[in-house]
Amino acid sequence: MNNKKTKECYFCVNNLEVDYKDTRTLKRFINFYMKILPGKRTGVCAWHQRKLATAIKRSRVMALLSATHK
Amino acid sequence: MSKTKKSTIGHYEMLFIMPNKFTEDEAKTVIEKVEKTIADGSGQITSREYWGKKKLAYEIKHNSYGYYSLCEFDLEKNALAAIDQSLRLSTDVLRHQIIIKKSKTEEELAHDKKINEKIVAKKAEEEKEAKLKEKKQADTPEATPKAAPKKEKRTDMKDLDEKLEGILSAKDLI
Ligand SMILES: [Zn+2]
Repeated sequence: MNNKKTKECYFCVNNLEVDYKDTRTLKRFINFYMKILPGKRTGVCAWHQRKLATAIKRSRVMALLSATHK
Repeated sequence: MSKTKKSTIGHYEMLFIMPNKFTEDEAKTVIEKVEKTIADGSGQITSREYWGKKKLAYEIKHNSYGYYSLCEFDLEKNALAAIDQSLRLSTDVLRHQIIIKKSKTEEELAHDKKINEKIVAKKAEEEKEAKLKEKKQADTPEATPKAAPKKEKRTDMKDLDEKLEGILSAKDLI
């Protein structure tokens, strides 16, 4: 099941900015336990992964995303 | 970017939550109050957005629902702390978050436009190719068996054709 195809960064490919209010997009990059997925797995580049991590944390502060799965 | 920043005015974005004890109208008066505090601190509100009542991802002070409101404003940098403090002390606002928002320069906007155009062009091309492929597949005799799609990815086109022919001839026999 190892996907050897090199993934491209979602934000670079679509020329999008990471927005902490856009929870629909952010949810693509967290797992069931609401943990931030590694960039290695999602294909997000290092620069966007940093922005993504802050964005997810910001939306947790504003209760847009929960920090735990329950 | 530049080390010597002349302007003392920053562009900020603020999202805040009001508790569920308010009605919709009361929440709107609270928003007006908040906007007034910004205006009193010589700030200028550039855009506002009311999200309405939303379920919170977790309870905040026993509220599971809250009214969200978003606003953007220009403000002098040293006046920000006072507004932040007053909002933190206010009981009308459950939680707020102020974020520095970079407004894009014209150069950046033009660059963005270019890239977006490129993306659109690329997508259109990809769609064309996909359509061509579909046509090719439609031209070749159909009635692919149900098991075929999984194998399709791994086998080359030549192999597929051979297999297809084999299957079709077998069907003819039946
Ligand atoms: Zn990227």
